[in-house]
Amino acid sequence: MDQKVLVVDQQKCTGCRLCELVCSVFHTGTSNPSRARLKIVKWEDVGLYLPMACNHCEKAYCVEVCPTKACHREPESNNRVTIDKNLCIGCRTCIIACPFGHPFFDIQERVTVKCDYCDGDPQCVRFCDIKAISFLDVDKTNVAKKREAALKLRASINPSR
Amino acid sequence: MATENIPPMRNIRHLRPQKEWKEIIAIYLYLAGMGAGSFFIGTLISWLGVKLDPPFLSSLHLFGYTLNLSKVPIFWGPIMVAIGAPFLILDLGIKWRFMYACLNPRTSWVARGFIILSIFIVLGLVLLIKSVLPFGWLHSESTLWRIPEVIALVFALGTALYTGILLKATKSVPLWNTHLLPILFLVSALSTGSMSIILSTLGTGVFSHDAGALKVLMGAEQVLVVIEGIVLYLFLSRRYRAAEQGKDSVRLLLFGEMKMIFWGGVVFLGFIFPVVLEYIASFFPGNFVLIFAAGIFLLCGGFFLRVGILHAGIKDQIPMHRLMEIQYNMMAGRKVNPRITVHESQSH
Repeated sequence: MDQKVLVVDQQKCTGCRLCELVCSVFHTGTSNPSRARLKIVKWEDVGLYLPMACNHCEKAYCVEVCPTKACHREPESNNRVTIDKNLCIGCRTCIIACPFGHPFFDIQERVTVKCDYCDGDPQCVRFCDIKAISFLDVDKTNVAKKREAALKLRASINPSR
Repeated sequence: MATENIPPMRNIRHLRPQKEWKEIIAIYLYLAGMGAGSFFIGTLISWLGVKLDPPFLSSLHLFGYTLNLSKVPIFWGPIMVAIGAPFLILDLGIKWRFMYACLNPRTSWVARGFIILSIFIVLGLVLLIKSVLPFGWLHSESTLWRIPEVIALVFALGTALYTGILLKATKSVPLWNTHLLPILFLVSALSTGSMSIILSTLGTGVFSHDAGALKVLMGAEQVLVVIEGIVLYLFLSRRYRAAEQGKDSVRLLLFGEMKMIFWGGVVFLGFIFPVVLEYIASFFPGNFVLIFAAGIFLLCGGFFLRVGILHAGIKDQIPMHRLMEIQYNMMAGRKVNPRITVHESQSH
């Protein structure tokens, strides 16, 4: 089975936060962006927006520090790193350990939650109109960048085209 | 036309330390460290056969039995750890699930900590109760008790070190990710622990005469404070050079939001006041108020040390953030430049 990952293009993101909204609706049933599994970091004064989604790292610190193995890897589901809500004790060690500031503490459920690719159909990808987030095969993540670089190279070699 | 100044992204007033672990964890780290340090020093005193003067209450009559309280001041550490451990549970999202961590000791340092603390508390309390109870069948002077004492001593050392290892294990905070942190917490645990023993034996007349044992303990405590100061200096200077976020953390601690905690709480209360007060007290052998004040200040300093280090923990920067920082500064620069141009044209 091909492994897929979330790919974020922060140049496209407009900071509309629709992804946060649909994420919270899908996971919690409430339209509350503070309970979403991804966050948009904003620098409004200069118009920079950075969607922070889980990278499901190969060497995941959150998995290493979890005292109950609630945070674990599922190789059969896109090799995702996910948190079992029934095992999580809410110690928040994973939040401190993650360099991407990803797992979030759900104040209502009193446990840590994180992106789980919405069981194979990420809602953020589905609802992002400008396609700032996409769900791609691992080997295709750099295709867009390679294409851009190739176009630049062609333009520099042959400016007339 | 005036343009608003955009604060640079990496500005000391805009540093973002971690907000997950707060005072509750600091109380836990402090009580666990102090209790373990106190027990460690107390056991060494007991092994050396040093006779300390008894506390206020050397014995207690209860239900027809006479409880021996003479060794309580040197063995009361496990009580402190037992009071501190629930603070970790209090900080959990779902409190009753702490059992899950106990059942998975091999997973992480949080889980191992539960085990280390549990063994220390149980063994320490058994030894404390043994020293108190008057029953002959306990053979409290038997050399066989050395076995649980040695095990408890090892776990006391483990508890004091563990408080630092817990922070070190979360690798993404450069300030904490160093071997010097467990050593710093160990030395701090020993200095606060020895001071807690000195405090618990105060008022018993030990300072009214030439009490040799207490003088040695006071001397050892002062040496520990000096070593703690050196380790703290090494810790901060190494972290300052270790990584950009380590530098930010040290700046936050020394000159940022945490400067009152650091200079007031750690440096003055924890180091300068106790040393000065103890020096003054050496000229007044009968006056234990000064020693008492020095002790309280030192214990407060130990607590503020944990608070400061916890609150100054800034996470490592990921390449994506660095990229955004460069972009931000470029765009902020672009916005600021027109203002300068306008200003220059007006001056002409």
